[in-house]
Amino acid sequence: MLQKNYLASLLTMVLAFPLVFTTSTQADNLAPGDKGETHWAREFLSYVTSGFLWEGALIAVEITAIAMAAGLALGLGLALMRLSSFRVVRASAWFYIWIMRGTPQLLQLVFIFDALPFIGLKFSSFTTAVIGFALNQAAFSAEIIRGGILSVNKNQAVAATSLGMSPFLTLRRIVLPQAMRAILPGIGNDTISMLKLTSIASIIFVNELTFRAQQIVGQNFRFFVVFAAAGLIYLLLTSVISLIQAWAEARFDLERDRTAPDPLRRMFGFSLKRTETPGVTALVTGKAPPRSSTPLAIAGGKDASSRGTLAEVLGRAPSDGARSSEPLIVCRNVHKQYGAQKVLCGIDLTVKRGEVVVLLGPSGSGKSTFLRTINHLDTIDWGEITVAGQHIGYQRIPGGQLKPTGGLAQARAAARISMVFQHFNLFNHMTALENVIEAPIRVFKMDPVEARQLGLRLLDEVGLQNHVNHLPHRLSGGQQQRVAIARALAISPRVMLFDEPTSALDPELVGEVLAVMRKLADAGMTMVVVTHEIRFAREVADRVVFMDGGLVVEAGTPAEVLDNPQHERTRRFLRIMECEPVAAAESSAA
Amino acid sequence: MRSHAATMIGAATLNIGLFMTSAAVAQQPVCEPDKIAQKYPGLAGRTIKIGVDPQTPPYVMRDAADFTKVIGVDADLARAVFTCAGVKHEFFLGGWSGLLPAVMSGQIDVMWDNLYYKPERAKSVDLILYMKAGTGALVPAGNPQNITKKDDLCGRTVSYGVGSVEDVTMKEQDKVCRAGGLPGVNVMPFQDLASGLRLLDNSRTDVLLWDLGFVDATASSNPKKYARGFATYSGLIIAAAVKKGDSDLAAVIHDGLAILQSKGEQKAIFQKYGVDPGLEVSTQVKTN
Repeated sequence: MLQKNYLASLLTMVLAFPLVFTTSTQADNLAPGDKGETHWAREFLSYVTSGFLWEGALIAVEITAIAMAAGLALGLGLALMRLSSFRVVRASAWFYIWIMRGTPQLLQLVFIFDALPFIGLKFSSFTTAVIGFALNQAAFSAEIIRGGILSVNKNQAVAATSLGMSPFLTLRRIVLPQAMRAILPGIGNDTISMLKLTSIASIIFVNELTFRAQQIVGQNFRFFVVFAAAGLIYLLLTSVISLIQAWAEARFDLERDRTAPDPLRRMFGFSLKRTETPGVTALVTGKAPPRSSTPLAIAGGKDASSRGTLAEVLGRAPSDGARSSEPLIVCRNVHKQYGAQKVLCGIDLTVKRGEVVVLLGPSGSGKSTFLRTINHLDTIDWGEITVAGQHIGYQRIPGGQLKPTGGLAQARAAARISMVFQHFNLFNHMTALENVIEAPIRVFKMDPVEARQLGLRLLDEVGLQNHVNHLPHRLSGGQQQRVAIARALAISPRVMLFDEPTSALDPELVGEVLAVMRKLADAGMTMVVVTHEIRFAREVADRVVFMDGGLVVEAGTPAEVLDNPQHERTRRFLRIMECEPVAAAESSAA
Repeated sequence: MRSHAATMIGAATLNIGLFMTSAAVAQQPVCEPDKIAQKYPGLAGRTIKIGVDPQTPPYVMRDAADFTKVIGVDADLARAVFTCAGVKHEFFLGGWSGLLPAVMSGQIDVMWDNLYYKPERAKSVDLILYMKAGTGALVPAGNPQNITKKDDLCGRTVSYGVGSVEDVTMKEQDKVCRAGGLPGVNVMPFQDLASGLRLLDNSRTDVLLWDLGFVDATASSNPKKYARGFATYSGLIIAAAVKKGDSDLAAVIHDGLAILQSKGEQKAIFQKYGVDPGLEVSTQVKTN
């Protein structure tokens, strides 16, 4: 009978709670005895509003908040250790995670509280709980964060690296913001679990919510009302966590409306004043919006204006003091192999300032790898490469050999070599404009307002003035590649490397990208281009280099190599390329 | 009874003297809160942390009138003992199973909460004995199954704590029942007392076997709901535990208890919580 009464009460209570809550006055008696005189709803309310229980809830919240923050920080460190290229570092992190995940948390808490005093480390209950939960959480969040990092395409980091961004900057600005979408649900789960699990800390004298509820029950045996009240308090607290999680997920949602004012606010508090889009004649589309008074623009026609912006970009490139007649890039006897497979077998190549060199060759001939060694995205095993007379991230050791040095990111930034990739590699979480101005602001410390103006002009140059606030996935392939070119231009490069920039595009989109590249060449940009676009090579290149099997087979002017190849391999390759439909598409667009 | 207790105090004092060199213990046991520095120099300036689990009625629990206070047999005894000696003290509230490790590690100074003296336990801590332990059979009010002795449990459903003394007893009782041609004991062990009580409330079990002090206190405070079916005495003694070698603290507790016992205050505290005053035993320090 008693049981039936309780169940009926519980059911009614759950159903009628909102009504009761809004119409009842707060009960005065916080600790009704087991007299059966107080109405259950009043009694329940008195426990829900009990300062005694809420104090316990506050302790649980404090432990959770501090331990979660510390656990996430440690977890990030452990996740990075797990991804390290050093075996010892990886193994240490793995070992830690193995121990912490594999042993009961209750025992960990008792160990910290009761065993560490024997070696002179005596922590209070609260501190023990915070340390214990943080250390445990570190192990779990390490795996969640590692999963998030692995979910981000590696090419994102490659693109950031090519812009001179340091590993830390790349992690903070590029990888983690994108990883957050994968990380947040797991962290939300863990936070809620931790809040509820703080009850196990009663074993080390932490008087949190569950333990307090049990104490009330231990005193009056009113299980249902007391536990229901504690349950409701937990529900309220976990609801707040759920709301925070939803808010955080919305913050990192790529589908969010990007045209809202101040599109950069989302990015870790970084915020710029919105300025008018300066109208610069569109290079590609030919549309001419009204010109604003940009200091560097030259009035009077699209060629003049495009030369203005491009001239500014070229003018910003650092002067190395060398005579312009000397080659900008010098590659001597470059060797590279992956495991047993030789990819580069002694490449010799020089590129002069303002020269456009096109690298042709069949797949697997080592063109892309070679391109990546120029800005040290790939290391070389033998030989040397200098850009403006400097090694990038290498130093000569006694005996004449080169050895990689620290500070590679700074060396890359100082060299100002930008790169355009086959798959664009735009930062997926940033708008077109944000993509363009990220490196100028973060790496080259350009004034944000100035960078924004430059970014808008560059996007205008590539015909994307109407897409500045669009995320990459809202753009076509051709548009994405043009953003990528604007991004590469924004760092005022000495030289631009193009790695098959049109290979991933639909044929009808190839032309718009090639047109932009052609303009760059006309403006005097030094370019090394890996492409299969024979027509582009013929019309734009100063020199064509044909590679096969990791070697330069022949090099010369387009007329020499394309129209009058000396080697059978070159001839065979060109015959095949002429049958490719890409050439036809390119010719129609150009 | 009183004279018996006095004899026991004498014996206990002698026992203390055997293992403690402090001159303090030889003094007459009277409350002298101002003389703490002379009587127990090791405790001067110390604030004693008393570890208790406030969900172990009637030993330690929250005061229904004021949740910031802990009350109960053990809490009241501890408070009285330390007040008598003039020792500053505070309660540390934690889960029961965490109390003893905390004494050993020095996180708290004394565990005072329904702890049984066992020789193997005395290897880790020093124990000050003060109360007999027993098992009580809690049954619904009116004892509808008429359970008045262990043999009445044959064919009944019986609940007790997992791994408790009662666990062993009931396995033996089951054999006894079957040997006598009667149905065996249906056992229903539980993890915590609260869930055990729910079993009894829900009529899922006929009898709840638990600490006698608890059973008596519960039956006397809820006479319309519960009753004591029967009681058995295991021979175990309840004690407060201090870190090994903390002899001044052990002496304070022992002397304080001796004074309370001599004045009848320990029995008064027992009665206050519905615990049988006959469970008192003369205090004694056990170091092994």
